[in-house]
Amino acid sequence: MYATYVIWTRHMRKFVQQTEELVGLALQSVLWVVLFGVGMRGMISDVGGSDYMSFILPGIIALSALGGAVGGGMVLLDERLRGIVKEYLAAPIPRLSILLGSAASTATKALFQATLMLIIGLLMGARLAINPVGWLGALVLLAIFAIGFSGLALGVAAISRSIAGYHGMIFLFNLPLLFASNALYPLSVLPGWMQVIVLINPATYLIDAVRALAFGVEATLPLWASGLVLAVFAAASMAFALSLFQRSLRA
Amino acid sequence: MTVLTDGLDITAQARYALKELEPDDQGTVMNEHAVETQTLVKRYGTVTALDRVNLQAPAGRIYALLGPNGAGKTTLLSVLTTLLPPTSGSARILGYDVVRDAAEVRCRIGVTFQEMVLDPLLTGRETLDFHGRLYRLPAAVRRQRIAELVELVQLTDAIDRPVKSYSGGMKRRLELARGLMTDPQVLVLDEPTQGLDPQNRVNIWSYVRDLNRRRGMSILLTTHAMDEAEALADLVGIIDHGRLIVEGKPGDLIASLGSDVIRVRGNGDFQHLATVATAIDGVNRVETDPADGLALIYTDNGSRRLPAVLNAISNNGFAIEDVTLARPSLGDVFLHYTGTALRD
Repeated sequence: MYATYVIWTRHMRKFVQQTEELVGLALQSVLWVVLFGVGMRGMISDVGGSDYMSFILPGIIALSALGGAVGGGMVLLDERLRGIVKEYLAAPIPRLSILLGSAASTATKALFQATLMLIIGLLMGARLAINPVGWLGALVLLAIFAIGFSGLALGVAAISRSIAGYHGMIFLFNLPLLFASNALYPLSVLPGWMQVIVLINPATYLIDAVRALAFGVEATLPLWASGLVLAVFAAASMAFALSLFQRSLRA
Repeated sequence: MTVLTDGLDITAQARYALKELEPDDQGTVMNEHAVETQTLVKRYGTVTALDRVNLQAPAGRIYALLGPNGAGKTTLLSVLTTLLPPTSGSARILGYDVVRDAAEVRCRIGVTFQEMVLDPLLTGRETLDFHGRLYRLPAAVRRQRIAELVELVQLTDAIDRPVKSYSGGMKRRLELARGLMTDPQVLVLDEPTQGLDPQNRVNIWSYVRDLNRRRGMSILLTTHAMDEAEALADLVGIIDHGRLIVEGKPGDLIASLGSDVIRVRGNGDFQHLATVATAIDGVNRVETDPADGLALIYTDNGSRRLPAVLNAISNNGFAIEDVTLARPSLGDVFLHYTGTALRD
């Protein structure tokens, strides 16, 4: 869809021009890896044979993609509340392309951040598997994951009446995603009931797949299953966003 | 046989086309109205924002929807620009239904919204260029249109600056240029001069008039300012509480009240005054408001009828304090049809 591409380029142009956002995202990545990684490494030397930095890096990358999705939703909410979205609505483009444009720019920013984090992680001693195809696969999965969470955030942004309301709702699903996942601890150490919750969380599949693809850790879950779960998640959440967006337009 | 039938068809078509052609259409004959609605209704829950609106705006004209804030003007424009689906009834732009043929409608209209809908981070040029790309205009066309429009709305010096540095009037002009990027057949402007200083208002008016006169563009605009409707509109529709109360040429609407109004202030029997005044030759109608000590006497020619009117009134024991003679305004039209003054 051409309109998706046009909206994506608009977001990207603003992203590149707005040095605060660019620098902010870059610094965020550095701080996450340095502070969190170093702090936790002091406590835990290795997890299941790999060093903790390599273990935690996929988790940090996934979580920063979440933050990016929340920001992407904010952009739509801001454009909605200020009426800017009307320019798109009056144009001969599909409604979905408006959401996909936002999701695509969120995914791009997530990839940018992930690349930075990987580089810093490597400097901090993480050990990447020598597997370029795996790296590429990991980035593709990350992009799909970012689109999925963009969908959720965009859906919430489509119906929120205020910025505070949006953040309140987002907080509801943001926090559990961090702790109810395998980001900070391996799946195997969790009790059975918690494993069930963790397996509902799409972040778990991304993190497990990235560990396997980019860091050469043995996958806990089959790779094809992780890919499938992420793809279904992204499609379902975009459908969710579209239905809420269209509902908000009928009112 | 076939030839004969074809010949008949052509004649019939020609006759049909002739019937449609009006001398002042300047060659841009269209069978469709630029905008047409039929018993259009929009409800939000229990609130009726639009109540059976039947609007007809001919192509190639400037049509002004005049009404107070909250009358339903913006809701009507939202339906017409495909942003809101109607609850019932239908609306067409150039013959295309706004629900069924939404894509066709969107390709043919240019819109400016009541609120400033601009991205503060983009420059003026980027704003226009992005809009053109959304409509898939080729790069060469975009470049050329931007050059023309920047000249038209006098933003040459500012076009490469970020929009956040623009004044309110400059933003409005940029929005107007954006609405024109796609060379629309119908231009829809929601309160185009709201919040602008007098100089910028007059500028916008002259652009709107130019677009209509030189390019034959059909323009639909809303306003709550009578002077704006009087200055611009070929046709005015008066809207209040979601109902389109009357539509027509401003001159006709005003003339329907009588060409001049004599306002008489004083004390006495207003009912008797009304009877006496109505009987005078050339007086169309008398409206009295005894509480305010005011009588409005609508006549065909105020200065000619004034002596007769004053003579008749004062001979009947009415004490006149003050008399003014004026042409009725669109404000009087609004008052006449809605029963209340045009509130802001």
